Amino acid sequence: MKKYQLGEFEEIVLLTVGVLYNEAYGVAIKSEIEKRLKRKVSVGALQSALRRMEKKGYLESREGEPTKKRGGKPKRYFTITAYGKEALKHSKDVRTQLWDAIPKVALDLKFT
Amino acid sequence: MIKRVADALFRWYCHPDFYPDIKGDLEELYADHEEAGNGAQFRYLMDVMLLFRLSLLRPVFKNSIIKDTGMLRNYFKISFRSLIKHKGYTAINVIGVAIGLAAFLLINQYIKFERSYDSFHKDPETIYRLTTDQIVDGQLGTRDAMSFNPSGKVVTDEIPEVSGYTLTYNIGNVVVKKNETLINEESVKMGDEHFIDFFGHKVISGDASTMLVEPNSVVLSRSKANFYFGDEDAVGKTIHIYSGFDRDFKVTGVIEDVPQNTHFKFDMLISISTIQQRLDDEGWRAFNYYTYLRIDEGADIASLEEKMIPIKDKHLSPESTLFFNLQPIRDIHLNSDMTFEPEVTGSEKSVNFLEIISIFILIIAWVNYINLSTAKAVDRAKEVGLRKVIGAAKKQLRTQFLIEAFIINLIGALVALMITQLAAKGFNSLVETELIKNVWVDSDFLISLVIFTLVGTIVSGFYPAIFLSNFKIINVIKGKFRNSKSGVGLRKGLVVLQFTTSIVLIASTLVVVKQVDFMRNKDMGMDISHVVSFRNPRPDDGQREQMREKVKVFLTTLSQEGSIVGTATSTSVPGGESDEIASTSGGVKIVGMTDRLDATTYIQTVDDNYFDLLDIQLLEGRNFQKDLATDSSAVIVNRAFLDRFNISDTKVINEKIQFGRDPENDKYHIIGIIEDANRTTLKRAAEPTCYFYDPVLHSSLVKLSPNAMKAGLEHIEKTWADMFPTSSLEYTFIDERFDRLYKEDRKFGTVFSIFSGFALVVAILGLFGLISFIASQRTKEVGVRKVLGASETHIVSLFYREFLILIGIASIIGVPLIFFGMNNWLDNYAYRIDFPWLVILIALSVVILCSLVTVSVRVLKVASLNPASTLKYE
Repeated sequence: MKKYQLGEFEEIVLLTVGVLYNEAYGVAIKSEIEKRLKRKVSVGALQSALRRMEKKGYLESREGEPTKKRGGKPKRYFTITAYGKEALKHSKDVRTQLWDAIPKVALDLKFT
Repeated sequence: MIKRVADALFRWYCHPDFYPDIKGDLEELYADHEEAGNGAQFRYLMDVMLLFRLSLLRPVFKNSIIKDTGMLRNYFKISFRSLIKHKGYTAINVIGVAIGLAAFLLINQYIKFERSYDSFHKDPETIYRLTTDQIVDGQLGTRDAMSFNPSGKVVTDEIPEVSGYTLTYNIGNVVVKKNETLINEESVKMGDEHFIDFFGHKVISGDASTMLVEPNSVVLSRSKANFYFGDEDAVGKTIHIYSGFDRDFKVTGVIEDVPQNTHFKFDMLISISTIQQRLDDEGWRAFNYYTYLRIDEGADIASLEEKMIPIKDKHLSPESTLFFNLQPIRDIHLNSDMTFEPEVTGSEKSVNFLEIISIFILIIAWVNYINLSTAKAVDRAKEVGLRKVIGAAKKQLRTQFLIEAFIINLIGALVALMITQLAAKGFNSLVETELIKNVWVDSDFLISLVIFTLVGTIVSGFYPAIFLSNFKIINVIKGKFRNSKSGVGLRKGLVVLQFTTSIVLIASTLVVVKQVDFMRNKDMGMDISHVVSFRNPRPDDGQREQMREKVKVFLTTLSQEGSIVGTATSTSVPGGESDEIASTSGGVKIVGMTDRLDATTYIQTVDDNYFDLLDIQLLEGRNFQKDLATDSSAVIVNRAFLDRFNISDTKVINEKIQFGRDPENDKYHIIGIIEDANRTTLKRAAEPTCYFYDPVLHSSLVKLSPNAMKAGLEHIEKTWADMFPTSSLEYTFIDERFDRLYKEDRKFGTVFSIFSGFALVVAILGLFGLISFIASQRTKEVGVRKVLGASETHIVSLFYREFLILIGIASIIGVPLIFFGMNNWLDNYAYRIDFPWLVILIALSVVILCSLVTVSVRVLKVASLNPASTLKYE
C-alpha cells in the first residue's frame, strides 16, 4: 500500500490523463474533469498534482508546440508511465478487494 | 492591468522550469473566459493566487538570489554557536556594552539639550545681548547682563552693522484674576513691538508687528491662552492683572509655547509701553533691562564694542566706568558669568565633565570586550589552528571574529535601547524636561545607535580579530599554547585603564556630593530655619501710603499670634537669584577715609527687625531704631563692604559714606557693621552691601514657632485673605529658596553619581569575566601548587597581589587627575571645600573591595578543585 501512494484527486487526474491519451495537457485535463465529474478544478490544484506525480514517476511529459492563443507558450503533454499504470491498477485492486469484503447484509441493509 | 500584475507576481514566485507551460495554460483559459465574457481578469488573478503552492515555488531562499552566501552564513552560524556555548561570557559582554551604550546615549541626550539653548530663535548666530561691564583702570569689574533702556535704539541708529533691536524687562511674577480666583503667574516678561519678529516666535493668532505696540497689551503662550480662555480665540479678550497695575489687559496675540531650552522663558508677554512713564524717567540713569541686538553676519564684534564707547561717552559721561558689551545669545546659558541673569545659568564645565564621563563609560564597555576576547584566546586557539590547517586565510578568520563582535554589539545595542526606554521616565524627571519620549521611533536615537554599533564593532573587534588570527599553527596544534605572553601587557594596561576610570569617577562623584552638601549646610551668617517669605501686595496707583499702613497693621496682627515668633520686611529676601537685589555702580567712598572705589555695591533696604529675625550678628555699632528720625540717613554696612576698602571695623562707626562722583551727593552715616550673610548662592562670595532703613518694604519675612508651624501658616493665610482680597499669597520657606538655587548643582551631582555607578558596574563585570578566564587558565598551575602544599588562602593571595599591583598603578595615574580636575571644578565656587583627601581613600577602598570580592569568588572555586582531577591529563 505504501508503495503506490495516490490521493483521491491525484487518482482522478491520473485517470483523466489516461482518458485523454495523447492530448493530455493542462487545460484539456481541467475541462475533462470538470465535464465528467461536474466539479470545479483550479489550475493551481491541478498543476501541483501533475508536477507532484511527475516527480513521483507516475507521469512523464513532453513539450508541445507554442500557439498564439497561449501567448506563444508551449503546451506540456502528460502521459502515464508504466509505474503510473501499476499505481492505478493497485488502487483499483484495493478498492475491488474492499468491495468484495463488504458483507452482503451491510449492503442489503443499506438498500432497504 | 490586473492580469499584468498577476502575471508579474506569478513569474516572480513560480519555478522557472514550470513557468512557460503553466503560463500557457493560464493564457488559454484567459482567452476562453474572455470569449465567454465573464470576468476573465479576475479569474486569472484567482488562478494565480491558487497556484501559490509549495511544489510550484521557485526555490528562492536556497541560493538563487543572493549568490555565495555560504561563507557568510557560516560565519554567523559559528559565531552564534560559540556565543551560545560561552553563555556567561556572552552575557557579560552584552550587558557591559548595553549599559555603556545606554548611559552614553542618555548623557548625550542631556548634553545635546544643554547645548541647544537659544538655538531655535530666528538666525540665532546674529543675535547678541547688549550687556554692561564695569571697567576700572583697565580692570574688568562686575559684568551685568542688563542694559539701559534707550541703548538698544541708540546703538541701532548709530552703528550700521546693527540692524535691529528689542527691549525687554523681566517682571517676574504677577497676579492675574481668572473668574473669581487669583492666579500667580510666575513667568512674565515685557517686550517691545519688535520682540515677536525679532526672535521669530510662531504666531498662532494676532498680528506679530502690532501686538506689542499699545500699552496694556498682553501676548499669551498657547497653553496660557488655553488655560484662560479654553478653545476660544483669546485675541480681543481681556485679563485683569493686579500686582501694581490693577487694570484690564487686552490680549493681542497668542504664540506657540516657548521651548524649555531658552534662557528667556515666559508664558505671558506684556507690552513694555505699559511702563513707558518709567522708561522715560529712568532714561540713562538705570540699567534694568535686557536688550537684544541683531548684528550683521561677519561683523567684527570687538570693533563694534569699540564703536560703542563714544555712544556711552555721549549718553552717560566720559568718566563713567560702565561700558557696553556684546554677548552672543548662544553663550548665555552655558558661558555667562554675569550678574542679574534672568535665570540660573548652566555650566559649560559641568556639561563637558559629563561628556567625558559618557565617553569613558563607553570605552570601558569596549575595553571589556577586548579584554575578555583576548583572554579567551586559549579557548579559541585550537579552533583557529584547525581552521588554518584546513586552509582558512587570515582574512576569513578576522571576518569571523569581527562578526562575533558585531553580534555582541548589535544585541548590546538593542538591550541598550530597552534600558533607555525603561530609564526614560526617571531620566526625564531628573532633568525636568521631556528629553526622551519613545526611543523606538526616535530617529536621532536609532541613527546614533546604528553608528555606535558599527563603531563599537570596529573598535572592540579589531584588536581581538588581529590577535586571534595571528596564532602560529604549529604552536597551537602541538598544544604548546598555554599562557602566551603576548597580549598580557595590553590586557593589564586595559585593566589599569578601567580601574583608573572607576577610581576617578567615584572620587569625583563624592567631591560633587560633598560640595553641594557643604553649600546647603554651610553657616550662612544667619538663621533661616522656619522663616517664610512672601511679597506684600503691590500698591495701586496713588495708594502707596494706604498700602504701607495696611501692611504695617497686617504684620502687627501677625506678630500678636503665639505661633509667630517675629516679622520683618525687606527689599530682598535671602535665597534669591542674582537679580533680586538692587545695586549701584557709580562708585562709593567713605568720606575723609578712602578714595572713591569704582565697584558694584549692593543696596538692600530693611526694617529694624530684619537682622534680629534672621539672627545676623551685629559686629559693631547699633541696629536701626524705629523712633529715631535720623536713621533715614543712616546706613549699616557688612564686613565684605569694608574688606574691599581694606579697613578694620571699629574706626568707621559714625563716618559717612557717599555714592557717585558729585561731592554734593547725599552722605550717609554708618551706624553699624554686620557679619556677612549670604543672600544668594554660595557660588558667589558675600555681596558688599549697604543696608538702609525703611519701616515697611515690599517683601515680608515671618519667623514661625517651630512647634506650631501649621497653625502659624494658617494664621498668615487667614489674615491675608481678610486684609488683601485682591492679592494672592505666595509664600516660600527661605531654606527652600536656597535649595532651589542649588538645583542645577544637585541635578549635576545626581546625574554624575548615577553614571559613575554605571561605569563601576561595567568595570566590575569586565573584571569578573577577566578573572574567571585567568583563573580557569591557571587551573593547572593551581593544581601543582596544591600538590606541593600550598594552602587555598595562599593561592588566593597570589591572585590578590597581582590585582593590587594593578590597582596601585591605577591610583598613581588617577589621583593627580582627580586632584587637578576637581580642584578646577571647585574653583567655580566662592565657598568651596578643601580638597577632601578622604574621598580618594573611599574610592580606592570601593574599587579594592569590589575587585577582591570578585577575585575571591572566582579563584576560590578553582583553588578548591581537587588537584587529582585538574592534573590527570599531564
